[in-house]
Amino acid sequence: MRPGAAARRNAREFVGVAPALALVALVFVLPVAALLLRSVLEPQPGLQNYAEIFASATYLRVFENTFLVAALVTLVTLSLGFPVAWLMTIASPTWSGLLFAIVVLSMWTNLLTRTYAWMVLLQNTGVINRALLGLGLISQPLPLINNLTGVVIGMTYILLPFMILPLHAAMRDLDPAILRAAALCGATRGQAFRLIFLPLLASGIAAGALMVFVMALGYYITPALLGGAANMMLAELIAQLIQSLLNWGLGAAAAFALLVVTLALYAVQFRAFGFGAMREGR
Amino acid sequence: MLLDYSRLGWLRYALTGVAALVCAYLLAPIAVIVALSFGSSQWLKFPPPGWTLKWYRALLADPDWLTAFLTSLEIAVIVAVLSTGIGLMASFGLTRGSFRGREALRALFLTPMVLPVVIFAVALYGVFLRLHLNGTLVGFVLAHLVVALPFAIIAIGNALERFDVAIEDAAVLCGASRTQARLRVTLPAIRLGLFAAALFSFLASWDEVVVAIFMASPDLQTLPVKIFTSLRQDLSPVIAAVSSCLVVLTALLMGAAALLRRGRPT
Amino acid sequence: MNRIAFVAGLAAMALALGSAGASRAADMVFTSWGGTTQDAQRESWAKPFTAATGINVKQDGPTDYGKLKAMVDSGNVAWDVVDVEGDFAAAAAKAGLLEPLDFSGLAKGDLDPRFVSANSVGSFYYSFVIGYNKETLGAKAPKSWADLFDEKAFPGKRTFYKWAAPGVMEIALLADGVAPDKLYPLDLERAFKKLDTIKKDIVWWGSGAQSQQLLASGETPIGMFWNGRVVALQQQGAPVEIEWTQNLTAADVLVVPKGAPHKAEAMKFLAVATGPKGQADLAAATGYAPINLKSKALMDAKIAPTLPDAHTQTQINLDMAYWADHRDEIGKRWYDWQAK
Repeated sequence: MRPGAAARRNAREFVGVAPALALVALVFVLPVAALLLRSVLEPQPGLQNYAEIFASATYLRVFENTFLVAALVTLVTLSLGFPVAWLMTIASPTWSGLLFAIVVLSMWTNLLTRTYAWMVLLQNTGVINRALLGLGLISQPLPLINNLTGVVIGMTYILLPFMILPLHAAMRDLDPAILRAAALCGATRGQAFRLIFLPLLASGIAAGALMVFVMALGYYITPALLGGAANMMLAELIAQLIQSLLNWGLGAAAAFALLVVTLALYAVQFRAFGFGAMREGR
Repeated sequence: MLLDYSRLGWLRYALTGVAALVCAYLLAPIAVIVALSFGSSQWLKFPPPGWTLKWYRALLADPDWLTAFLTSLEIAVIVAVLSTGIGLMASFGLTRGSFRGREALRALFLTPMVLPVVIFAVALYGVFLRLHLNGTLVGFVLAHLVVALPFAIIAIGNALERFDVAIEDAAVLCGASRTQARLRVTLPAIRLGLFAAALFSFLASWDEVVVAIFMASPDLQTLPVKIFTSLRQDLSPVIAAVSSCLVVLTALLMGAAALLRRGRPT
Repeated sequence: MNRIAFVAGLAAMALALGSAGASRAADMVFTSWGGTTQDAQRESWAKPFTAATGINVKQDGPTDYGKLKAMVDSGNVAWDVVDVEGDFAAAAAKAGLLEPLDFSGLAKGDLDPRFVSANSVGSFYYSFVIGYNKETLGAKAPKSWADLFDEKAFPGKRTFYKWAAPGVMEIALLADGVAPDKLYPLDLERAFKKLDTIKKDIVWWGSGAQSQQLLASGETPIGMFWNGRVVALQQQGAPVEIEWTQNLTAADVLVVPKGAPHKAEAMKFLAVATGPKGQADLAAATGYAPINLKSKALMDAKIAPTLPDAHTQTQINLDMAYWADHRDEIGKRWYDWQAK
């Protein structure tokens, strides 16, 4: 490239980022920073709110639970979503279109309504238990709701499309010739899967997993309705602090702590897998 | 060979089996909702003791539902378009540029997704009150745009990462301007990413309830707020009727889109 | 692509400019929880009020305490009269979020003194009662709160109110044998210990509708409920019953946020809302009880037995003032215990 062209290119690319930056800075960062500041100003200036959070076994347990559930849900959606995305990529256009339609359709009903439908399905007196009891497969209703199982089932349901679609997009971009070449070179399916297929999909997997994990961290309506009291997620606790107990200092502190931990995880993930890894690899 | 359906062998059955189970999983609640919308019991009893159309009649008799639906639709469409557009421009910058702080910027754009939305809602509400923006369409769109943008950036960024910039450069070498090259070469190549961005942005706004409660006013009510209020207070199958109508509408739209695609040469 | 975005942006701006001028403030704004209750409040209070005074009442909702605090903090209050929970009103008054009420236009003597304070006046009141599904339970029926903690006589799931609010603690203490007049100050340790004995079988309900769903479906055949909700189920033919022994009264109250733009109109509205006819009409429509002592005379004799006023022998009043003082502390302990 001609000298100076690189700098000009950078400047032009930065201009593209400008609208997003302006939006996020003005509409998000400024108002939120003002509120988060309350975490060190209310009720007295100082770090008492943070001390309260880290000293409390409850908050730490809620934190822990939130990240564990998010990780678990991410794993489950990946395990279920990967085969579906794969089939969507290679099946005939009709079947693939049908799969696509079903995935998109499942996102269309309102979140709350879907959650209530799961309540109807999972309860002791619900559809699944009654069917299993009726068929004689079980003698006692299975505890599918008001526990971790219910939360995972419900959240996976909501987040699955957010894993499937990016994975499918990544798979579609793969050139089948690469895999055929591998076969010609004598690679088994397992080797091709491990050494070629997965690595090429790394960015798609990372994108899907990131979205699902982060969304799972922030959900609280679904876990509140499908989980038990012991499964409380951080977002629900923060909502309670902000909207019911009106303790904005503590709520802001908990939110800020969540933000810091999540961004730290994101930094680690980025360093390990890197969004730029794909380009470097080529 | 992993991408050749016919050469998969036993893997084919495994994949189909899992996919079938997942489809059943994805459709089960929808089936329940549609069934409940015709059930005669007010309480979500499944199977319903009887069948009736009274929930649909109640839905049609209440103009508030249609108003809320249209309001939500209007906001979500505007948000989807703006989010995809702004996200597209930002993604080009994030993937192509190499200015300093690029990664920090990317993390910043993702922050609205990480921070509990109630914090954003309360913070923005206070600011909007002073600017008299709450209860206005502009305020609502701005608020939802912040919520939706991370989805657009992730989806489009993901697609742009995989797109070989050499193709775009080749177009420029052939005489196109950078913008033309992007419009005619890059955009079609990443259209699945654009679609995902638009879809996720639309849904992020369409389903969003917490910010909506804060931004709402008597004249500006969105569907999720109405459903949330309704479910908390009354739990009537009218909500199931609302959802069923949406499902049918979506299915019809998707069917129409599929027919259109078949008519055109690829 | 960019052209479409541009046009959409123009359209958005046009719409915004158009709508900005359209919705000017109404003569006053009444905010409640939505659903059929707010519909009833609109019919029983707002409509007669507008007819009598010509002042328009705009309905808003749902009540959100975070929103309320944000409004008052920023000095841009959009709500004039708000329906809130009784214990919240006491806490909010302490936090300086409410206007003192002007009782000159209200017949204070007619109002049930349990539900009147300097900053709030009752909207309606109700009781926490024992509800049970007789179809699921069969012959047995719970007779007191202690029965809810009896896993041998009543095995299976039971349901309790989820939030850190008056009710559950008192029930646990009563079930453990504490005398009603010795309930306060609440012995939280004792209450939590009692609740621990059945904790794994408790399903927590967070909204009235959810509680009705749990009871009607038989998922939780016994539990604590708002009386109006169980009565509503009975009216629809669900096989549920109420046990009124040891019922605990609580109330929703009406407040005026500090800095409300239409204070004078708000006070006039309160006069109508708490008047005998307004209260009687609301009670008839919702199954909740009136807070105006003169309303009973105006009400249909058939409704009376369904109201808490008819079941005062073992009735206990939840102490809102105590809760206001200790809300934060109890809330903290409550979440600690729930998360265990």
